[in-house]
Amino acid sequence: MLRLSPVLDLGAAAPLWRGLCEARGAAIEIDASQVERIGGLCLQVLLAARTQWRADGRSFAIVQPSAAFADGVRLMAAADLAPQQEDVQ
Amino acid sequence: MDPMDAIKATYFQECDELLASLEEGLLALEAGEGDSDTINAVFRAVHSVKGGAGAFGFDRMVEFAHVFETALDAMRAGKLDPEPEVVKLMLRATDVLVDHVQAAKGEGAVDEGRAAAMADDLAALTSSEAPKPAASEAAAATTDEWGFAPLKFDFGDEASAASEAKWRLVMRPAPQMYAKGHDAALFLRELARLGDAQVSLDASALPDLESLQPETPYLAWTVELPASVEEAAIRDVFDFVGEDCPIELTLEGGEAPAAPSAEAPAADMQALLQAVQDESSPETSATVPPAAAEKGSADKGAPKGAQGATIRVDLERVDRLIDLVGELVINQAMLAQRVAESELACSSSVAIGLDELEQLTREIQDSVMAIRAQPVKSVFQRMPRLVREIAGATGKQVRLVMEGEGTEVDKTVIERLSDPITHMLRNAIDHGLETPEERAAAGKPEEGAVRLAALHRSGRIVIEVSDDGKGINRPRVRDIAVEKGLIAADANLTDDEIDNLIFLPGFSTASSVSNISGRGVGMDVVKRSIQALGGRISIASQPGKGSVFTLSLPLTLAVLDGMVISASGQTLVAPLTAIVETLRPKPEDVRALGPAGAVLAVRGAHVPLIDVGVALGLRHAPIDPDHGVVLLVESEGGGRSALVADEIQGQRQVVIKSLEANYQRVDGIAAATILGDGRVALILDVEAVVEKRLNERHAPLAKAS
Repeated sequence: MLRLSPVLDLGAAAPLWRGLCEARGAAIEIDASQVERIGGLCLQVLLAARTQWRADGRSFAIVQPSAAFADGVRLMAAADLAPQQEDVQ
Repeated sequence: MDPMDAIKATYFQECDELLASLEEGLLALEAGEGDSDTINAVFRAVHSVKGGAGAFGFDRMVEFAHVFETALDAMRAGKLDPEPEVVKLMLRATDVLVDHVQAAKGEGAVDEGRAAAMADDLAALTSSEAPKPAASEAAAATTDEWGFAPLKFDFGDEASAASEAKWRLVMRPAPQMYAKGHDAALFLRELARLGDAQVSLDASALPDLESLQPETPYLAWTVELPASVEEAAIRDVFDFVGEDCPIELTLEGGEAPAAPSAEAPAADMQALLQAVQDESSPETSATVPPAAAEKGSADKGAPKGAQGATIRVDLERVDRLIDLVGELVINQAMLAQRVAESELACSSSVAIGLDELEQLTREIQDSVMAIRAQPVKSVFQRMPRLVREIAGATGKQVRLVMEGEGTEVDKTVIERLSDPITHMLRNAIDHGLETPEERAAAGKPEEGAVRLAALHRSGRIVIEVSDDGKGINRPRVRDIAVEKGLIAADANLTDDEIDNLIFLPGFSTASSVSNISGRGVGMDVVKRSIQALGGRISIASQPGKGSVFTLSLPLTLAVLDGMVISASGQTLVAPLTAIVETLRPKPEDVRALGPAGAVLAVRGAHVPLIDVGVALGLRHAPIDPDHGVVLLVESEGGGRSALVADEIQGQRQVVIKSLEANYQRVDGIAAATILGDGRVALILDVEAVVEKRLNERHAPLAKAS
């Protein structure tokens, strides 16, 4: 379980990336319930991670997205990041 | 400075300009001078303020600006007429927006109650007239939060392209964009506010997780917006990023792409128009209505053309340049002096070269001074709000007429104009104008007029504040002055002298102290601050018709054309602007007047003779005017006097060095300068010298000097 920090801006991108790199190789659930703001850099880390997890054949899920998170990813046309459970292929 | 703070500072600077143009536009509308361009400009101003506010997270400001913008949008769409009532409301809304900006700067606070009431009033304007903008906004915002955001990659859909023209915007954040505190998410949010935005994400450049650099942007977005959204509005969203987020904006449905940046927009629009007109094939179906395209080009052309190319420069740098040029002028004068002392022939190549250098120096100086010259508009434009507020507080109806806003004056002077003008306007409204009932009873229109004008007159800037109120109540002013012990009860004063009593320290006519003016810090403060600038203030009043306050100031506090004279071995400089003529008096023209005074007959008129040396306390007895030279000077009020000096050395441009800044204020001396031989010379305050002597006409001589 990885919990996203409330503010996902420039400063949060590198820690998030490191955290995800370390978590590779196992199924992951990411808790987005605390997110107040998400920017483009963190979005791309999450998107890259999802692609990676899919390629690795592991489950990748973002759970309990806060309204701000859902709204943020919807604005950036990545709404599919928020709601659906990504299944193992 | 933190980069974020620097960006914010730039934003606030732009805010000030935008808010000024907003108010200007609204005032034009109020005066019935506005057209659709004005409304567009006003709309854009609010929009840009809102855009920046969104980027910095000033949510309250965004909320308010949004309501304001919605009302303006309705006006722009012709759904709301710019009636006087509506425009007045918007002017007050502008004041609230200014408060919001100030609050965001950390200066002052927003009156929440007032802001909320204003927002309601603004919303009421549009709710009955045009529910559309709000509705579409709401629709965009309430799209299912969890669910589906349309991902449209398919631009080949001819049917839909044919039915509706669209803006297609591709944005690719550059690496430095995020580092500067911008975020793609904010731009997308702004774009979504403009209209029904269809956003699609291009993640094709995204590398795999391991090789990803977390602070390098890889994503790009394509946003489709309805063609009804103004191009300028879209570009405004990216105003703050410039090159950091390159955008490509095209009007889908036409063939020709618009320029990636704002360069050469006209040519591109023309190409686009051409493409639209040439296109006949129904498959590609160029359905841009020419009207829309023309509108776009007109919108772009007007503001861009009006702006002209400018750069922002730190004032400090300009000041340093001006200081250096001042040194250059002094140095050049010194060099000239040395050459003169070396007794080279006038035609020698050195002397000729020196002449050329002098001309060049002068040109440089003029050009440098022009950099710092600014129209008084920046001060004037703060006044309408002040007038509205005072009018509201006093319950009087006031119309402010401003003239000569383009009059240019040095920045150092401008900065110090604001307080005196504010004071004089307050005074004019609070004391000068009558209440609507009193005015009606006196047969005047209920709305009082206050005029604020700026003009150039003989090398000085003149600011006039006039009202059509009741004028100065002379008996009352006299009574108060007697009561406060300012004058003797039996003093015999002319109307002018009575009027000038109000400039005496501690004088206040308001019988009840209001919080607008009349705290005893009245016109004497104004007079002192004006005098500190080397200016003067005068008043003319007609009972029942109103008063005119006139203040005149030097155009610059940096250089001065002067006549170099000597008195009692001291070198002095008299400002050229004050001098009418110079002459050597004939003994028969000088007539004694009283024990110490004398007058000079000049072409049939008698003017008082004032010995400069005595006036400044350099000597006790005046020299014989026959042996000196006389400078005939004219004062602000138009009165003439004759200053007697020992001799005239020449005429020269001098660099003003403030005495106040380096020493203290000296009566009769305006400032000092450094001459070519390195000596310090004092610059005469002609007006003060004349005034001082005339006021002492009844005083004994010993006391006078």
